Amino acid sequence: MKKRDRHDLFVYFSFIWVGLLIYLFIVAYPVLYSIWLSFSDYNPNKGGGWNFVGFLQYATMLKDPNFYHALKNNMIVVVVSVGGQIPIALMLAYILHRKLIRGGAFFQTIVFLPQFLSTIVIGLLWRRLFAADGPMSTLIQIFTKDPDAQFTMMLDPSTVFYPIGFALIWMYTGFFMIIFLANLQKMDGSIMEAATIDGANESQIFSKIIIPHLSGTIIVCSILAIAGSLRGFDLIFAMTTQGLQRDNAMVLPIYMYQTAFQDYTNEMRFAYGAAISNIIVVISVLLIGISNLIGKIFKPSEEK
Amino acid sequence: MKMLQKVLNLLIKFPIGKLISYIVFISWLLITVIPLIWMMYSSFKSNEELNMNIYSLPHDLFANYNDEFYVIEPQLSVVPDYDYENDLRPRLIIESNTIDVGRHSLVFFLLKEKLPPEVANLQPDDLVYVNQLPFSMRFEINWKTMLFNYRKSIALGGLVFKFFNSIIYAGVSTFFIVLFGLMIGYALSKMRFKKMSVVIMGIIGAGYLISINSVIIPLFLMLSSFHLTDTHIGIILVYTAFGIPLAVMLSSQYISGLPDSLIESAYMDGATPFQTFFKIIMPICAPVILTISIVSSLGIWNEFLLVLIVGSTEFTKSLPVGVYSFSSLTSTQLGWQIAALVVGTAPAMVIYFSFNKYLTKGVVAGSVKE
Repeated sequence: MKKRDRHDLFVYFSFIWVGLLIYLFIVAYPVLYSIWLSFSDYNPNKGGGWNFVGFLQYATMLKDPNFYHALKNNMIVVVVSVGGQIPIALMLAYILHRKLIRGGAFFQTIVFLPQFLSTIVIGLLWRRLFAADGPMSTLIQIFTKDPDAQFTMMLDPSTVFYPIGFALIWMYTGFFMIIFLANLQKMDGSIMEAATIDGANESQIFSKIIIPHLSGTIIVCSILAIAGSLRGFDLIFAMTTQGLQRDNAMVLPIYMYQTAFQDYTNEMRFAYGAAISNIIVVISVLLIGISNLIGKIFKPSEEK
Repeated sequence: MKMLQKVLNLLIKFPIGKLISYIVFISWLLITVIPLIWMMYSSFKSNEELNMNIYSLPHDLFANYNDEFYVIEPQLSVVPDYDYENDLRPRLIIESNTIDVGRHSLVFFLLKEKLPPEVANLQPDDLVYVNQLPFSMRFEINWKTMLFNYRKSIALGGLVFKFFNSIIYAGVSTFFIVLFGLMIGYALSKMRFKKMSVVIMGIIGAGYLISINSVIIPLFLMLSSFHLTDTHIGIILVYTAFGIPLAVMLSSQYISGLPDSLIESAYMDGATPFQTFFKIIMPICAPVILTISIVSSLGIWNEFLLVLIVGSTEFTKSLPVGVYSFSSLTSTQLGWQIAALVVGTAPAMVIYFSFNKYLTKGVVAGSVKE
């Protein structure tokens, strides 16, 4: 190696090494650690003794009714996010882009606001609003003229996801709306003008020009929504009170948290929790793969 | 798609379309603004008012010009708000008979030497009215009563300290994220060793898919084995590491678009690589630095799970964790809780409404990579 090369390599690494080391040690290494943990019976109650147990944790998981309950709830959150937030965001972005209303900039600011507020604090606010003695209950009492009426959706396992889904849509739609809007603004306006001159009406413009143009963005947003809702912890954690309510609305990250950090008698709590974390990552990779595939299948048909 | 088309046809063809658009956005506005306004004004209501009528406007804490107080004896449960070990001057202790009755939570320690004699000589269980007191005391009692919920939630929840913790986490981590991200981005995009750069870029880029939540258990075990749980350094290290992937991707994209002649001419002038980086590259990167800073500091400001698990004492808790644990501790004191919620949201709201154009652009630039 020439002296010049050695010097350049030295400069190259002197720029990289600190950041790279921190990254490798704190982001990359825990991924391997987590995989190792899930194949062990690591016991924190006995000073961290461990044996290799193969797929024991994953086998336990497949027999665990709580896991299926959390998985089902998590899928509800994914469906609400992909099927609720994204179409609504697209509609809102379209209305703003075509300037169908005045004061668009102001409305945009308001819809985007929740992105900047702490999810936990906003979750606590919604919990208070939806509480049995909260403002929602009072509102129902005023409208039904029944002084004992209460807002009980948060208490009933079959309805708990209505208020939570509502809060999820309120919280994250603004984010996708802004992304759609940014991509709409990048669009070449002359295509739409040409279409208008050729006599296309607004709905034709929407389905024949705007949807195909945004199909890539829709896929990206779906991926963000899937990844976000599978790892999403804060909003549901803050909206529910510990105990029955949170158990009813349990999602995988909360189940992981409760297993690993609250269930102190469980000797394999970290190993089992790591297995749950890994399954969350596997499921999100699978769903993201599927949505990519759907995007590839549908894209050509929309462009015909 | 057909349904959507029909709906849109309706939306556009008739002026009703505009009406529906307005209805959608105005109801969204109301759903957003009404809870926030309710939270703002309710934070000035006493507990009794909140229990009586959850929608009424605040009254008790403001109309305090002639509140009734009891004189009480010194008690262990009433902690003085002055330096009682060195300041031994006699004081009259009074407790509100109007707000939070019987809880010893609205108590004042009045210096007897500043009171008129007929008030100073009152005995425990005697009544005293605010307008019997001298003006300066009256004034203090008035505004302290108004801010009762805030004083209590900030003092009991330690929210000022936690607010500064949050600022330290967001500020220091963002500083290092920008520094390391730009240094790596510069080396990867403008130096030789392209093959190695592609490999390193791949390794770092993969980290974008991993969140703190998905590796929280190994992170916790690692930090505890290095005795870094419950320390600022440990939390900042984690935030910095998880911010690096995005910073590297954004900055290398930006820097690779800069002309090579910039760096060559600096090299001709005899600048060292580090001088070139800090004096030439850094200033040009201001826009991408702004984007990285906005996205990183916003994420860290609102992050919850890491501090919830790693920060076991008051010393390291951040504002969201502080507000959360405060609300689960004081479940009966509604007014204090709501005041804590305002403390948790108001700083972000002020910043958002003052700089919303830059912030929105930053978030978009940080999340949509082509």
